[in-house]
Amino acid sequence: MEAIVFEQLSKTYPGGKEAVKELNLSLEQGEVFGFLGPNGAGKTTTVKLLTGILSPSRGSCRVLGVDPAQHPEQVHSFSGVVTEHAQMYDHLTGMENLEFYAALFGLSRQQGTQRAKQLLEQLDLSDAAGQKLGAYSTGMRQKLSLARALLAQPKILFLDEPTSGMDPESVLRVNRMLRRLAKEEGVTLFLCTHQLRYAQEICTRYGLMEQGRLLACGTLEELQNRVSAGMKVQIRAKKVPPALGLALKADGIWEGNISREEEIPKLVRQLVELGGEIYSVSAQTPSLEEIYFALTGAQEVLL
Amino acid sequence: MKRSMYAMIHKDFRGVVSNRRLFASLLIVPIVLTVLLPSIFVITGHFTPDDPDLQQMLSLLPESIQESSLEQLIHQMLLNYILPVFFLMIPIMTASIMAASSFVGEKEKRTLETLLYAPLTLKEIFRAKVLACFLVSMLVSLISFAAMLLVLETELFFLTGSGLFPGISWLVILLLVSPAISLIAITLIVRQSAKAKTVEESQQGAVFLIIPIVLLAIGQFTGVLMLSVWVLLGLGVLCALVAGLLLKRAMGNFTYEKLLS
Ligand SMILES: Nc1ncnc2c1ncn2[C@@H]1O[C@H](COP(=O)(O)OP(=O)(O)OP(=O)(O)O)[C@@H](O)[C@H]1O
Ligand SMILES: [Mg+2]
Repeated sequence: MEAIVFEQLSKTYPGGKEAVKELNLSLEQGEVFGFLGPNGAGKTTTVKLLTGILSPSRGSCRVLGVDPAQHPEQVHSFSGVVTEHAQMYDHLTGMENLEFYAALFGLSRQQGTQRAKQLLEQLDLSDAAGQKLGAYSTGMRQKLSLARALLAQPKILFLDEPTSGMDPESVLRVNRMLRRLAKEEGVTLFLCTHQLRYAQEICTRYGLMEQGRLLACGTLEELQNRVSAGMKVQIRAKKVPPALGLALKADGIWEGNISREEEIPKLVRQLVELGGEIYSVSAQTPSLEEIYFALTGAQEVLL
Repeated sequence: MKRSMYAMIHKDFRGVVSNRRLFASLLIVPIVLTVLLPSIFVITGHFTPDDPDLQQMLSLLPESIQESSLEQLIHQMLLNYILPVFFLMIPIMTASIMAASSFVGEKEKRTLETLLYAPLTLKEIFRAKVLACFLVSMLVSLISFAAMLLVLETELFFLTGSGLFPGISWLVILLLVSPAISLIAITLIVRQSAKAKTVEESQQGAVFLIIPIVLLAIGQFTGVLMLSVWVLLGLGVLCALVAGLLLKRAMGNFTYEKLLS
């Protein structure tokens, strides 16, 4: 069974704003799906539709076969959700909060406490377990929210900017944890984020939204091919003959366009034969960031 | 009941009872109504029993009890006709304060959305909230009753040398009418506050619930209406039915979207 299926999913807010337009997509179980797009693209709205917090204006979606608009509580029983609006209780400690939500998900008192401890440990929050949530920093709150989402060992995780406000070390820790969940436990991740470098590290597939529409969807490779057929090769060398068609980018750095990786050895051989002195060669595929800018038509920002 | 519902009730109940200032403020008015006010009555009744207004009021009491002494009459009237009305008002007041904080407070602090992500239907969340409010309001009622009985009986004992036995109508009030009215009030207020955006807004709605009770109280004071045990019993059963119906029906047409916007 697919983990998530969208069929012509559309949402128009009461004010008339069309936040999501005819989304068609399906995700396999165990996929780590990066849902990207500029502010106001409709990412959070999509997450709310998937969790049944909003109901679609047209079309539908299914999460592990369940329609969240019909049976949100069933979807919630196997999902974990982190969004910026889902806060916890300031007057309770981190531990008490987790114990409460564990009970809400039907864990026994003992299971709840044990699971909470384990997650606090994994997220490096053990020291703050006894502190009131009111005294938590932004990043700590965010980590506790993630712990809350993971309490009942969900099959699907909806994460809306889960790492915003976290320090780089925590981001790495969280990324490692999420990747392990997907790989070892087959958890499906639906991840909205603006942190493209981190997304590139863990996502297996991406969807790019803009103004409510899905602009592009696919693996990094598929997206790379879509943006520019082929790749760039960068060579640091001296005495480069003009005949090879390399362009001088900076002092001693040359760049050439090729269509496949297999062309690199030939290019290097030719260069050597023609008397070039090579110091380094690197093949460059466009990063997620470059693809993002290319697809959203905002390339000028990069220059 | 699901363990998750129990967890919600437990959290809400503890949230009020362990917050000393909130709990004290919930108790202040009931204690004034049920301890301070009747004490003043009893003491002034003891020292100035010839007040003409009082005489007139007493003549309205049923024949059977008019045979006792004047002071005893006052006490009878106080304990069995005036004070019970307060026990209809107390749960409504408590409920309005509790219910307002339970949905709107969660909305304002942005914890409601998190609650909605739990594997509970809206109806179950709603019921858990109502039951938590109900328990607190019953607790406040019982504390008030115990305090009232203790203080009043002590005063009576010292002033007249004998206590007074609360009538059978108390049983009906405490165990049936008061809980039922309390449930109705809470269901309505929680529903109302699910729509409201601020705590104030949701409390305004509660004011209207007090009106019938105030009318009833005025009726009692002026002697227009003397509630017999049977009328009370009937009233109680009726209220319990309405409460049950409301609890079953409420939230039927609510969606997460309406609740959060
Ligand atoms: N409750 C609402 N009522 C009306 N319009 C809304 C509401 N919530 C969001 N919108 C609009 O819907 C569009 C999509 O919003 P959404 O929050 O889904 O964007 P997003 O992709 O999550 O953006 P961000 O990256 O800033 O989080 C925006 O234009 C926003 O103004
Ligand atoms: Mg968003």
